[in-house]
Amino acid sequence: MNPCLPPCHLAVGLAIGVLLAVPTVTPATTLLIRDATVHTVSGPVLNSASVLVRDGRIAAVGDLGQPAAEEIVDGRGLHVYPGLVALTTTLGLTEVEAVRATRDTTEVGAFRPDVFAWVAVNPDSELIPVARANGITHAQTVPLGGILSGHSAVLQLAGWTVEELAFRRLGALHVFWPSFDLDHTPKEKAPAPDRWKSVEDQERDRDQRLAALDSLFAEAEAYQAARGNHPPPVLPGTATQRPAAGAIPAWEAMVPVIRGECPVFLHADGIREIRSALAWAARRKLRAVLAGGRDAWRIAEELAAQKVPVAYEHVFTLPPREQDGYDVQFRAPAVLAQAGVPVSFASGLDRFAASNVRHLPYEAAQAVAFGLSADEAVRGLTLNPARALGLDDRLGSLEPGKDATFFLCSGDLLDLRARVLRLWIEGRETSLESRHTRLYERYRQRPVPASP
Amino acid sequence: MPKPRSSGRALRALVLAVGCLLPSLGSRAAAPLDAPGFTPRFAGYHALVNATVVPAPGIEIPRATLVISNGLIASLQSDGPVPAGARAWDYAGLTVYAGFVEPYVAQSLAVAAAPLASGDPATDQRPLADEDLGPRFFGVPGQERDAGSPGPGAFTRRVTPELRVATLYTPTPKTLESLQELGFTAAHIVPSDGLIRGQSAVVSLGAASPNRAVLRADLAQCVGFDPGPTDGTVPAPYPGSLMGAVAVFRQTFLDAAHHAATKAYASGHPEAGLSPPFNAAWDALRAVTAGQTVLFDAGSVLMMHRAAQLARELGLNHTAFLATGQEWRRPDLLAAIGGPFILPLAHPALPKIAQAADWEDVSLDQLRAWDWAPETAALLERAALPFALSTHGLTERQEFRKNLAASLERGLSRSNALRALTLTPAQLTGLADRLGTVEPGKLAHLTVVAGDYFNPTSRVHAVWVEGVPHELPRPRRESPVPSQTATNATTQTTSTNLPPFPRPALARVARAPLDLRGPLQRPAAVLVRHATIWTCGPAGVLTNASLLIRQGRIEAVGTEPADAADGALIVEGNGLHLTPGLIDCHSHSAILGSVNEGTIPSSAMVRIEDVINSESPEMLRQLAGGLTVANLLHGSANPIGGQNAVIKLREGAPPDGLRLPGAPAGIKFALGENVKQANWGDRQTTRFPQTRMGVPTFFANRFTAAQRYRQALQARQTDPSLPPLRRDLELEALAEILEGRRLIHCHSYRQDEIVVFLRTMESFGVRVATLQHVLEGYKVADEIARHGAGASTFSDWWAFKMEVIDAIPYAGSLMRERGVTVSFNSDSSDHARRLNTEAAKAVKYGGTTEAEALRFVTLNPARQLGIDARVGSLERGKDGDFAVWSGHPLDTRSLCLQTWIEGHQYFERAAQETRTQALREEHTALLAKARNARTGGTAEPSAAARARFFQRAWESASHLGVVDCQDCVLQRRP
Repeated sequence: MNPCLPPCHLAVGLAIGVLLAVPTVTPATTLLIRDATVHTVSGPVLNSASVLVRDGRIAAVGDLGQPAAEEIVDGRGLHVYPGLVALTTTLGLTEVEAVRATRDTTEVGAFRPDVFAWVAVNPDSELIPVARANGITHAQTVPLGGILSGHSAVLQLAGWTVEELAFRRLGALHVFWPSFDLDHTPKEKAPAPDRWKSVEDQERDRDQRLAALDSLFAEAEAYQAARGNHPPPVLPGTATQRPAAGAIPAWEAMVPVIRGECPVFLHADGIREIRSALAWAARRKLRAVLAGGRDAWRIAEELAAQKVPVAYEHVFTLPPREQDGYDVQFRAPAVLAQAGVPVSFASGLDRFAASNVRHLPYEAAQAVAFGLSADEAVRGLTLNPARALGLDDRLGSLEPGKDATFFLCSGDLLDLRARVLRLWIEGRETSLESRHTRLYERYRQRPVPASP
Repeated sequence: MPKPRSSGRALRALVLAVGCLLPSLGSRAAAPLDAPGFTPRFAGYHALVNATVVPAPGIEIPRATLVISNGLIASLQSDGPVPAGARAWDYAGLTVYAGFVEPYVAQSLAVAAAPLASGDPATDQRPLADEDLGPRFFGVPGQERDAGSPGPGAFTRRVTPELRVATLYTPTPKTLESLQELGFTAAHIVPSDGLIRGQSAVVSLGAASPNRAVLRADLAQCVGFDPGPTDGTVPAPYPGSLMGAVAVFRQTFLDAAHHAATKAYASGHPEAGLSPPFNAAWDALRAVTAGQTVLFDAGSVLMMHRAAQLARELGLNHTAFLATGQEWRRPDLLAAIGGPFILPLAHPALPKIAQAADWEDVSLDQLRAWDWAPETAALLERAALPFALSTHGLTERQEFRKNLAASLERGLSRSNALRALTLTPAQLTGLADRLGTVEPGKLAHLTVVAGDYFNPTSRVHAVWVEGVPHELPRPRRESPVPSQTATNATTQTTSTNLPPFPRPALARVARAPLDLRGPLQRPAAVLVRHATIWTCGPAGVLTNASLLIRQGRIEAVGTEPADAADGALIVEGNGLHLTPGLIDCHSHSAILGSVNEGTIPSSAMVRIEDVINSESPEMLRQLAGGLTVANLLHGSANPIGGQNAVIKLREGAPPDGLRLPGAPAGIKFALGENVKQANWGDRQTTRFPQTRMGVPTFFANRFTAAQRYRQALQARQTDPSLPPLRRDLELEALAEILEGRRLIHCHSYRQDEIVVFLRTMESFGVRVATLQHVLEGYKVADEIARHGAGASTFSDWWAFKMEVIDAIPYAGSLMRERGVTVSFNSDSSDHARRLNTEAAKAVKYGGTTEAEALRFVTLNPARQLGIDARVGSLERGKDGDFAVWSGHPLDTRSLCLQTWIEGHQYFERAAQETRTQALREEHTALLAKARNARTGGTAEPSAAARARFFQRAWESASHLGVVDCQDCVLQRRP
């Protein structure tokens, strides 16, 4: 479906920068990686093992002898990992954070179930190849703003068009739990006295926001009960179907959530917000994933009992409480994993996070320095996030039948110095070039200038 | 009663000489006679009998007779006779103290803002106050946000030393009464607005005319460090930061001295034809030179300490300080500040928090501030420092006595409490000869209490102000107390037989913060052996090696088996790695207030050293990542930023103790989007420069000015007869750059601006020390190397704004290959915790060797900062600063186990966990105490007291992460 890039593409350089972002080359129908250290994730780490790929899927993993394959890659001294899955990013929705024209992250309105991230993803974003070059093959792209911000998509970081990138258009519904913080500033010191509210009023507002959220879900349940299971919900961009008469887009968008087909990401960091969100999710019997989760370590047992996975975004943010220790957020993933919570690493939704999605493995490595096992750390980059998204039938581990989406690494992924050498998505080798490598190649060749 | 003061003195002599002989007759004869229709004047001759008089702290006279005549105390005797003609007041059951003096009542003298200019640069050339001086960098005429004093005065209307409370004092009955109810008879009225606020006055709290009320005019010049405008002006006028406020303070005092010197010169050299302009502000400050007290409202204990140092620098010999009640943060600095202190008893109260869960997010710092507040007075007492107690900050003044009782419970002695209400404020206000004790000859200022003042339920019965009684209305629901006509002496309560206080004493639970900080070990010598040592020096990486440090310096490093030197502490390094302490060449941690004085394009006069926050928790976190040295930089909001400070992370030391002596002075510069205000919103479009074209123009202009300034200085060295030169703190800093005595650290991104900046500075003969960030530096690495600038860059940040779209993670390696000295910096309180793995990115991207990559965060930043003779590598003679790692220091899976500075251990993982555990227990205990206190049935605190719970000290405000950013302007401006 896509042309093979000419081998001279580096020399063509920036003049055709967009074309150079073309991610994949024609796949061999069979591919064998052999004699590598294979991190299966679902099973043990296999030394000197092979991975056989057929038609974009993993056909076999292990000591496979010498099977025939159109392409054979010698993996001696190298490591194979399943592609990394980055939860909670804004990849594709933002380019240069300070330039408003390049930001499509944040819609207005408090409750917007019918906003879908995938429709606004820029397939030619320069940020995508940069993330991919460090082993990220899939990223969840999240809409921001308000309380219920809409549906994220799961992107596969290779493809020509937005439809090709959208691996899963309905990734999850996103609820940003209203903050419990109360502003105790006295009115006379308030920066905007006309908008000042008493603590009591703020408490009331806080309760009302939660009531409004709950009410929205109750309404959605009623809608689903009235419309029944057929036809399936019709959502924007799916041109092959027409909505049933009387369908209301916003409520249609809630249908997959109410049916439990689509997880709900509850974004909460403080312990109060986390507790409140979890209690609500349990009562509503939602397929909940806790995102952010700064203080989740404090209730690790409860999370484990409630089987709520955590997308932990705070390894590298600063801890808010002195008495928790300088390293509390370095240790948090270990505490959660110890209690049996499936932890994924996520770089979060802060302003500059999208350009730094490639740092994801370093968060896992930091957690390893502070007590997490290496296996759990790798799981937190692969299988755990795939499961949180309900995509573990295709992603997250090296097992027969799953997508042939993996990469070869010069060393242990958890050692920052290791380099990603080659990467395949659904069996197609994908370029590791980026704006960074192009500029590097160009300027390292700059001749030493003559003295002025 | 009008009476010349000289007759009062005569009277005093008379009383002392012959006792009480109808002393009022003589003056009564001289008293004016009111016209018919007026109530006839009272004689003013009184005898208070049967009272318990406490003439001074620690002394008590029972059954005293106190005679008052003409506003003065005439005599005081136990069981003394009532003189004929005196009006007798039976004060049985009452206690009489010397009238209390309130040392700090804020009064706004707000000056109406001078109208701003029209804003049309083509026509607006209206002269402004102090137009020749002050920072006039607003870009184009008419863009000023502060037109200065409305008349002749300072360049900012927030500098108003010429204002006098004495000329504007207008007491309101409500204020008078609320102070009288607490027993105050006199007060120090202090101007409350601005930076240099004006002159205070001491007044009597009686009903007399303002003319008579003023006991002393122009007592103190009042100085505050409040940054920023109070009226939300956008763009904000200078100064907009704490460090900017300090700079304005210094410059103003220097200007006043210069003005005086110029005047003197002009009169001595009429031939010079000088006519110094009239300037009321500077003229007013001559009083300070002549010995007027400077009263600092510095806003925090660290800033009080800094203010005391600045006062010494400027030769201000008489100082006083408004304390904040948060002196517990740094009690070790109080002695150096010296005082006297004015301590407001405005304690925070526990807020109403409806939900139990909400308590969990109440911070340790807030709880500590709440628990410590009542002990501040005792803290000052233990330090044997003079202090006076004030109601300042209390919107509900009656809370004063409750808070006073709490202070007594927490260790303030009664005699010092009384001293702090009487003698000390009398001394502080320079009125010790007239107030402060009950002595013949002093003003008859008396505080009369039904019982013991220090029991908060004892009512203040009356105050006497200059011999005039003000009986206070009794609250309705109060039980009867002995009236002045009662004669039953047996109802007397004495101060030695107290009723129990209305609430149980709650002992302090909060710890002194310094208890859990500071070095863990301070051995005279330390020997690390059997370790892998990354020397970062010529010796490279040594395996199974030893490092010996004695008296803070490296004595030996190498693979020779080292004997345990006598008494040396041994650290076994089996399997461990040792590196030099890491160095961060670009940090904004540990700074009080804003990191930017971004209001003007050149803020070379501001100094980070004025605002180092030794109390920042960031310090510990960064130590725990092996960091030992940080270059604290001003932000990048303007082309010429402020002066930097290089610190060692000696956690627990005060600001001075953090500085690295001998580190060359430096300054922050900046280019590009931030300085042209590209991301500041649509309203910020008038300051020069607005484009990259204007940036070098601005530098050329300021350095030309600095050259002229230097020439003027040099001319005065050769010809002392020239008129005095104004010391200009901005040009002084720039002149130091021209002289090679101050390093430039320049924030930069794009290749064009980098090259042009280097060329601009070359044209002034200046070598740039470091280009900071320098994300496109890889495109012009040869030019940078030839110039000789260092590159202090991010490892791999990019794309956060337009000018960094071409940033690449290979830049560090590429620049190094081309001969540039490269360091990786943090510019973030997060990254500063893990610079070792930042360095590893140079290995990953571009293949820099591991030993060389580690130099990116050790030796290279040391070179860039000019401190490599002391730090940056483990070599004999250098400082004993090192970090111990669990494994290879560039491996993300390794962690820092220990950090040492100059042979002292500042971080060790297990010991830190013990300290953290103690903090956890403290927090739990404080929460429990708060819960008990809330259910303890004490009186409902005022809303204001509860709001104080959420007030943050300067030291803890920056904990909130406001200065934590990759690029300060971008994040600070939404």
